[in-house]
Amino acid sequence: MDLFGGYNPSLSRLTVVSQKENLYHFPIVCNQCENAYCLNVCPAGAITRDTSGIVVIHKDKCIACGLCIEYCPIRVVVRDPETGKAFKCELCRGTPLCVEACPTGALELVSKHTPKGKIDE
Amino acid sequence: MNEAYTNNLLMIDLSRKTHEIIATSESFIADFIGGKGFGAKLLYDGVSPGTNPLGEDNLLMFLTGPLTGTMAPAMRGCVVTKSPLTGIFLDSYFGGSLAAEIKYAGYDGIIIKGCSEKPSYIWIRDRHVEIRDARSLWGVDTLLANRLIKNELNDQTIKIATIGQAGENKILFSLICCEYNRQAGRGGAGAVMGSKNLKAIAIKGNRLVRVHDPANFKAACREAAQELEKSPDVAALRLAGTASAVEFANEAGLLPHKNYQYGTFAKASKIADKGQSKHLWLGSNACMGCPIRCSKIGAVRTGIYKGIVTDIIEYESAALMGSNLDIHDIRAVAHLVKLCDLYGMDSMSTGTVIGFAMEACEKGLIKSPDGINLRFGSIQGAEYLIHAIANLRSGLGQILSKGVKQAADHIGYKAADIALHTKGLESPAWGPRGVSGMALALMTADRGGCHQRGFTVSYELSGAWNNHPLDPLSPEGKAQMVAELQNYSAGTDTLVKCDFGSFGISKETYARLLNAACGTQYSPDIFQNTGERIWNLVRMFNLRQGMDPAEDTLPRRFVEEPLTDGPGKGHRISKKDMAYMKQEYYKTRGWDENGVPLDKTLKQLRIDYVKSD
Repeated sequence: MDLFGGYNPSLSRLTVVSQKENLYHFPIVCNQCENAYCLNVCPAGAITRDTSGIVVIHKDKCIACGLCIEYCPIRVVVRDPETGKAFKCELCRGTPLCVEACPTGALELVSKHTPKGKIDE
Repeated sequence: MNEAYTNNLLMIDLSRKTHEIIATSESFIADFIGGKGFGAKLLYDGVSPGTNPLGEDNLLMFLTGPLTGTMAPAMRGCVVTKSPLTGIFLDSYFGGSLAAEIKYAGYDGIIIKGCSEKPSYIWIRDRHVEIRDARSLWGVDTLLANRLIKNELNDQTIKIATIGQAGENKILFSLICCEYNRQAGRGGAGAVMGSKNLKAIAIKGNRLVRVHDPANFKAACREAAQELEKSPDVAALRLAGTASAVEFANEAGLLPHKNYQYGTFAKASKIADKGQSKHLWLGSNACMGCPIRCSKIGAVRTGIYKGIVTDIIEYESAALMGSNLDIHDIRAVAHLVKLCDLYGMDSMSTGTVIGFAMEACEKGLIKSPDGINLRFGSIQGAEYLIHAIANLRSGLGQILSKGVKQAADHIGYKAADIALHTKGLESPAWGPRGVSGMALALMTADRGGCHQRGFTVSYELSGAWNNHPLDPLSPEGKAQMVAELQNYSAGTDTLVKCDFGSFGISKETYARLLNAACGTQYSPDIFQNTGERIWNLVRMFNLRQGMDPAEDTLPRRFVEEPLTDGPGKGHRISKKDMAYMKQEYYKTRGWDENGVPLDKTLKQLRIDYVKSD
């Protein structure tokens, strides 16, 4: 809603995959992969990792080729229906709108310590 | 204006293999809002008297409301058509996420007319509309058809409405499966789809649904969510869904047992939330965007039925396929309901039909088929009948596939005395002896024997409605309550609301959601007023289709046979009480003594164009 000005869950930056007649549901969010294929395949250098470890798409550089969408293993890079450019979860600069909107508290932003001792969000 | 609408209806003609987009007019939206309102007007205009419900001239419509597909909590979609079971108006509601997908594809509704030459399904991807070959899908059950279509189109996120073998065979109480475990269940919409040779509709949409005033709309959504949190009814539904109603109905003496011969069931707890949570449930599910999550998903893990995934056995199914048939093994009930879901057959009507057959057999009106025990309590007998009906196997299966009203006519003698229906729609699991307002609601519901058009039970048992004291057993003072509940329900079914959402969300908040979404300035009375308009238009539709107002009545059992157990013991709804309530109701509605809306009533409601027809 806040990102495109309207509602459609297929354009959301996180997805819920349901299986076995809705017996199971798996929320799927961008892992901000350490070896990020979306970043690796981008021919335009439009995808970079920022200082806090978040994989970010620079809209001005994106050429809408769709390679990042094709090679994301968990299909969380999505195409903007109007511009054709790619977008993904960038944790909304630290205050995710999905967490804010969730009526039940099912979503929260947590920090975890990786084995290397650095902090990921 | 009207941002929350797409302002487009998709009309598909299966006979000509064409489709067109029809723009909605301002006055159509202003008078009817959406959902049920759109359906009532389109059906009145598009289906002339005498139209064969299973012929190519009947319309089958999937409709959304202005709030469908937004973040407004607890919204659904509805199917509207002329029912082959009752011959009158049918609106049947489905949750899940199919309705939202219709909006995302760019339509406020899909209208299907005509009849395909060979089995087909419709594939809608935004503006791409394609009628595809479904010969390889014909004869498969609802869930397999769903899976095969998703595989064929190579997209697991498509939303699909499909019929099973029951719809193909035009069983008059077959349903439309709106994946998963959500159905447009009552009144035979699946048979209409089958008669059009239409196996399924698959939809995927990329359009955004916008609202007029996002900030105000979000605030209204928050308010609605808070109201839901405050409601004790919602809290009960979140915990145990509608299964919690089994013990409530049993204590009130309203739980059907043995084809409604009794109102209590000694083993009620086994089929209620207690038995279900122990044997079936694993987790909670919600329809899209709904914080109530009344659905309890699970599986039968042990015993002879093991291995099936099952949703909560809703109150109606638990009662009509359980206590009504004297079956208390909840895993067996889950198995029987799942069979109905796979065939695509309304488990409510099926339960009533089987109960009718079991009593008819016990009374010697029909014979058990060879090797089958058709007595109450026989799981084998119930299972046999489900297969026989869905596949039109054996003479008995064919007779029962028409519903209890026609089956009783066919069997003759005293069969009509034990056929539980109003206007041909099998009675829901709320026996009305002991709550006379519910009796009036069943007598006058627009689609026949339905409890959802005005559910008076909780008001009557609590002894008050709108601060007026109420005696549940007396016929006095029920008409106003029933009419207002019917109007409000019809009015909010334009949005299209879920009944459970309305347990918490106030009319003020519904109006705020609507206004913020559409840029309108309606007062909360809009729902009562629009609902009254719809109710009268549907009445005129039904009368024009040949409905006799004498059918505003109850099944004989509720009238002639006093309850033998429970708090309502000794009570029945006498002919005198029915006549009294009916006249009071007609008067309250501005109808004449024969139940026909007066010209001045139609004029006040701005639908006087219907009177000259």
